[in-house]
Amino acid sequence: MASRAMNLAQRQVKPILSLDQDEARKRAINLYRAWNKQLPFIVRHFDIPKSVEQCRQILREEFTKHENLTDVRVIDMLIIKGQMELQESVNNWKQKGHIMSYFKETIEPKPKDFLSKFLQGVD
Amino acid sequence: MLRITVQKALKGGFLSPKHVSPMLSKGTGDVQKKPQQIEVFVDDKPVMVDPGTTVLQAAAMVGVEIPRFCYHERLAVAGNCRMCLVEVERSPKPVAACAMPVMKGWRIKTNSEMTKKAREGVMEFLLVNHPLDCPICDQGGECDLQDQSMAFGSDRSRFTDIEYSGKRAVEDKDIGPLIKTIMTRCIHCTRCIRFASEVAGIDDLGTTGRGSDMQVGTYVEKFFLSELSGNVIDLCPVGALTSKPYSFAARPWEIRRTDSIDVLDAIGSNIVVCTRTGEVLRILPRVNELVNEEWLSDKARFAYDGLKRQRLITPMLRNGFGELEPVDWECALVSVGKKILKAGKNVGAIAGGMAEAEALVALKDLINKIGSEKVCTEHAYPTTGSGTDIRSSYLLNNKIARIEEADLVLLIGTNTRLEAPLLNSRIRKGYVHNETQIFVIGPKVDLRYDYTHLGTDPGVIKDIEYGKHQFTTVLKRAKKPVIIVGPDALSRPDGAGILLHIQSLAKIIQACVTEPDWWVLNILHKVAGQVAALDIGYTPGTKSIVQDDSLKVLYLLGADENIPCRKDLPKDCFVIYQGHHGDKGACMADAVLPGAAYTEKQATYVNTEGRAQQTTVAVTPPGFCREDWKIIRALSDIIGKTLPYDNLDQIRCRLEEIAPHLTRYGDAENGNFYDVSLDIGKQSNVEIETDPLCVTQNCLEDFYMTDVISRASSTMAKCVSAVRQQKSSQY
Repeated sequence: MASRAMNLAQRQVKPILSLDQDEARKRAINLYRAWNKQLPFIVRHFDIPKSVEQCRQILREEFTKHENLTDVRVIDMLIIKGQMELQESVNNWKQKGHIMSYFKETIEPKPKDFLSKFLQGVD
Repeated sequence: MLRITVQKALKGGFLSPKHVSPMLSKGTGDVQKKPQQIEVFVDDKPVMVDPGTTVLQAAAMVGVEIPRFCYHERLAVAGNCRMCLVEVERSPKPVAACAMPVMKGWRIKTNSEMTKKAREGVMEFLLVNHPLDCPICDQGGECDLQDQSMAFGSDRSRFTDIEYSGKRAVEDKDIGPLIKTIMTRCIHCTRCIRFASEVAGIDDLGTTGRGSDMQVGTYVEKFFLSELSGNVIDLCPVGALTSKPYSFAARPWEIRRTDSIDVLDAIGSNIVVCTRTGEVLRILPRVNELVNEEWLSDKARFAYDGLKRQRLITPMLRNGFGELEPVDWECALVSVGKKILKAGKNVGAIAGGMAEAEALVALKDLINKIGSEKVCTEHAYPTTGSGTDIRSSYLLNNKIARIEEADLVLLIGTNTRLEAPLLNSRIRKGYVHNETQIFVIGPKVDLRYDYTHLGTDPGVIKDIEYGKHQFTTVLKRAKKPVIIVGPDALSRPDGAGILLHIQSLAKIIQACVTEPDWWVLNILHKVAGQVAALDIGYTPGTKSIVQDDSLKVLYLLGADENIPCRKDLPKDCFVIYQGHHGDKGACMADAVLPGAAYTEKQATYVNTEGRAQQTTVAVTPPGFCREDWKIIRALSDIIGKTLPYDNLDQIRCRLEEIAPHLTRYGDAENGNFYDVSLDIGKQSNVEIETDPLCVTQNCLEDFYMTDVISRASSTMAKCVSAVRQQKSSQY
């Protein structure tokens, strides 16, 4: 305990939720589980043209997007946001469009090579 | 015609205090030894100045700017506005700083009570006769009178119109389609009059009447038509002379200013493009002592409205009915690409006069990659001998700024006044201040200075070269002679012969010149893109295209002037036009690719003296227009011969690979190997023919509409009709 207090004193930051990496990891896994359990209900309630498997894949992508984060405070903040989103879907505060936006089906990728940039008229 | 040196000779030293200006003291050069400097005090700050320096110049040396209206450093001193009055210690009256040379030990007080009172008084008198027009005046916001009345004027007015007679009012003059006059606003600084007679060489403007009846005008109802007339708008310190096309268009604080380069002639004048809401509102000159000083030709200044008319805004393909049909970029590029692939090596390209170095390089790289060498420019130039391999044989080697130092100018087959107005103003400057003698071989054109005409027969060049002409001795005796050869003389079939004889004449004369870095041989070009194209390795002239019967695809890069017509080309030849205006080239094309005009792209241009300069983006290209080099780059992608550059930096690296001077912006790279060029030239045997030399631009009428932008400009069209109207008038 003493060393942890020392560490804290050195870094001089206030923790948001978790005091160390392990705790943050636990929270992340818990959030992932909660989402995973909720997915079948989401698919049914929102009547989206996606299967539970497809949703699992997106869920996994959303989490692995941040797999390289090490800052506990940043991880905590993302966990809080994730929980809020989960709550919004559970309570039906979200609508179908909000759920579908996770799949980014309507977003066109930005042109990368010269020719497509030229044809679209972007520099 | 005004010639200051002559006046000086006639009147002795009388004019000396009035005509001291840095330009003049530099130009005369007959000062034997450096005279001793004298010490004066400006606001108690000591400064050493040359004798003859005016109070105003001495004050400028210590960083004190004295307010002025009539004084202008590039014009003769008039001293009639009295705004520059300053106190000099132990002098009973304030002195006019612009005209008074300093004396030893003078203590000049630019901020004393007497000076302030004098300025307030002058300001009050000026404002009594100046209308309260500011809210509707185009000069508002950039008006010297406004600024100076704020800074130096009285804080209250004593002007009460007791008789209710109104202020002084003067009838407006109609002096042409470019300059709007509101003569009531005139404060009689006479800058416009001095500009007209000294720089433009047109003595049309003058004053009539005296006292409060004095008026500036043209005496009789007459247009003020000069290729440099627009400059009086910049010179006018008040709103008496304003720009007609720009009238009531915008205020100076709401426009964006972008520094750029003019491409309507080969001089490469530095300009400021003023824009608002994605539209070019006006073009002003930017000071560059080496190129355009602070002047700008009327075409460069007023042709901008052509950028909005006749534009190609979408790619087009010719359909089955023979009509050009708008298509999207992908479709256009694919069908153009197919044609090029089918043509194999039988592809040729012609670059126009306004093509920039980037597009020229991209196009040449593409055509070479396909396996063809037929890249040429539309303006012809001799190709025999060393051709365009050696830079000195196609540059204005002596540089524009040094032309004014010349004591003898020989013009061959050129009308410099219309082909390069700012070069002509340099020659005229030498004529006015420097006793330059001017000789002309070629048509007798009006250059606004006196010259000796040596004939129109090009054979005269040979006579001079062989010493058979009496002019040879005159030429050899000159200390700083220059020969300026026009583009029209060299684009003749016997151009190579003419160039060769001029080169060997120049060599003979060069041997007599003792001045270091003084080059006799000078070539003038007409279009902005020519020098860059020759530097990059384009073949001048379209001969190789016209003679080729197997040509399958012809690529026109902004080429409209001297292109082969349809019947000179093989029947199945597919013509691609890339450019910004729908003109001759687009008319005959099977596919049109819309490019950007010079205000819409960042592009490199090399002027006639070999100075690389770049334009910058002032407005975005309209519609589906794209930057020219990008179109070629995209096309290369489509046909599977991708060019190795994706952005401006990369293509500029490629430019540097080809010719490093192309990206050294602002520097003029010298020509070289004069003798080598001549020796190689002598191996070929082209004789001079006897047809007289002629030029395409003979009178002022021909000046205004010479390229796609100025042909699309309605202001330029109005100028042409004004010149014609003037011709039929009785004055």
